[in-house]
Amino acid sequence: MKAWIDKYFSVIRMTWIQALEYKANAIVGTFAIFSGLAIEFLIWKQVFQAQGLTEIRGFTFNGLMAYIFLCMIVGQLKSSWATSMEMIDSIRTGEMNKYLIRPISFFTYHFMMFIGHNSLFYIVYSTVLILFPILLPGWAFPTLLHVLGFIMALLISIYLSYAIYFCMVCFAFWFGEVRALVIAYNISNIVLSGQIIPLRLFPDSVRNIINLTPLQFLVDFPVSIATANLPIKFWLPKMGIALSWCIVMTLAGRVIYKSGIRVYGGYGA
Amino acid sequence: MPIQVNELSKQFKMFKREAGLSGAFRSFFKRKYETFHALKEISVQIEDGEILGILGENGAGKTTLIKLLVGLLHPTSGEVNINGFTPWNRKSNFLKQISVVMGQKNQLWWDIPASESFLLNQKIYEIPQSQYKNTLDELVDLLSVRDKLNVQVRRLSLGERMKMEIIASLLHNPKIVLLDEPTIGLDVISQLKIREFVKYYNEKYKTTFLLTSHYMHDIQALCKRVFVIHKGASLYDGDFEELVNRVNPKRKLLFEFNDKPDYNKIEKLSEKYNFHINNTILQSELPDKELTKLVSELFKLGVPASITMEDLPVEDTMRSFFTDPEKFLK
Repeated sequence: MKAWIDKYFSVIRMTWIQALEYKANAIVGTFAIFSGLAIEFLIWKQVFQAQGLTEIRGFTFNGLMAYIFLCMIVGQLKSSWATSMEMIDSIRTGEMNKYLIRPISFFTYHFMMFIGHNSLFYIVYSTVLILFPILLPGWAFPTLLHVLGFIMALLISIYLSYAIYFCMVCFAFWFGEVRALVIAYNISNIVLSGQIIPLRLFPDSVRNIINLTPLQFLVDFPVSIATANLPIKFWLPKMGIALSWCIVMTLAGRVIYKSGIRVYGGYGA
Repeated sequence: MPIQVNELSKQFKMFKREAGLSGAFRSFFKRKYETFHALKEISVQIEDGEILGILGENGAGKTTLIKLLVGLLHPTSGEVNINGFTPWNRKSNFLKQISVVMGQKNQLWWDIPASESFLLNQKIYEIPQSQYKNTLDELVDLLSVRDKLNVQVRRLSLGERMKMEIIASLLHNPKIVLLDEPTIGLDVISQLKIREFVKYYNEKYKTTFLLTSHYMHDIQALCKRVFVIHKGASLYDGDFEELVNRVNPKRKLLFEFNDKPDYNKIEKLSEKYNFHINNTILQSELPDKELTKLVSELFKLGVPASITMEDLPVEDTMRSFFTDPEKFLK
């Protein structure tokens, strides 16, 4: 077990070293999220002022801003689409050979690379989240239990998101180029997971469909816990369903990968 | 017997389309697929500690064979047994015994120094610290790259990068190393250095090497035995020198007389042997036996000022071999 941890922690370490080589890129990437927040702030401020609203479907302006801000952070932390693009490319161009000839798992190696790449975000956003209840009291994290629940749900979201992307990546074994599929999923996932607009604001018919998919666990679930929009009695059953989705997507990824690797061409020398 | 290959075949399904926009448009709706036979029932056995050269023109199937031997590809049919392992099952214990260096692919991280990639490999292969340190020290000194260890990989020259790739692939002391075009694009000095290194490493550690290269000097310097693949099929498996002699049994003679020889006698000799003479220097390219006879006849004509006999350049010989390999091996 220690060797396994050592092996994959080394991958994270390598991505840190690599990220630090290009400091400007790392800094800009980390703070890019705040521009999105500013846009959302201005749009919703206009909506509330123009309509003279005090709340929308139970969201006050402050509550909505807290929700959207947390959604953006969770959305960023769980997003492994850049890693997915790299994986697709490595299958298509034969770069994957360098992983296959070594005693490492393609799935775990890239998961650790994704965690490594996102580490800088984790540090910055963790600081922001710690400051959140101090600077904006009452907006989110009413109790310590909500913090713990949020962390649990966030970890599930990160893993589940990666496992879903991995399934799509594996189709590159047959089709070579599947970036369009990942991009299409990425766009729909940003909207349907509640990353831009809270799921509570969606029509019931759409929400019912989303509730049948794992998308609700990617952003809406952890943020609803953090903002106390989800009663505590629903946490454990929902986490059980989310973990079941993790198992389903992991097994699906394994099956698709195993049959995909049989047709892998290892092109490009 | 560390490597045993039995009737190994690999087919690829490939789609073909006509050139141009209309071809691309047509193929978008209907694609024509063809089956390409990359390898056809290849069988070969490789002994422990051997350096086997795998030869063939571009597209012959050399790299496909290497990819099958390291488990990158699944075969269409046939078997491979390497120390009791089937490569494409990719068991961890198998992967720890082999290594691959592909001249046109790299495993080092591009933006950071090679030393960091070596540390990553230490963890991936679970190499104990003392073994890692000793192996790295030895390899770095042998390949003379100690001062480049902490330079970003992208800033290294091609030769330095290849040396680093070789170090990364040998850190875990593999029993079998597959070198696919390791000297491609390198200057003569770097090629020589890598050849010397492979020879030394093989002699010291009895590591089995499988080598593909288009530089015949690599093969000549390192491989006693070669395996020739032509259009996916096995064409020759045996001694490299013997192959060269079969393709071109001639040797080159330069015979310089002290004084101008008797023209009549030379004229008579030219009826039996093929040669050119320019003043006092006689040049000829003949099979070994004939050449020996010619030399003894020339000695009767006069004492030579100098005499040189040499093999024809192996690159030229093998170039003519690959124009029509089947012709030479009938």
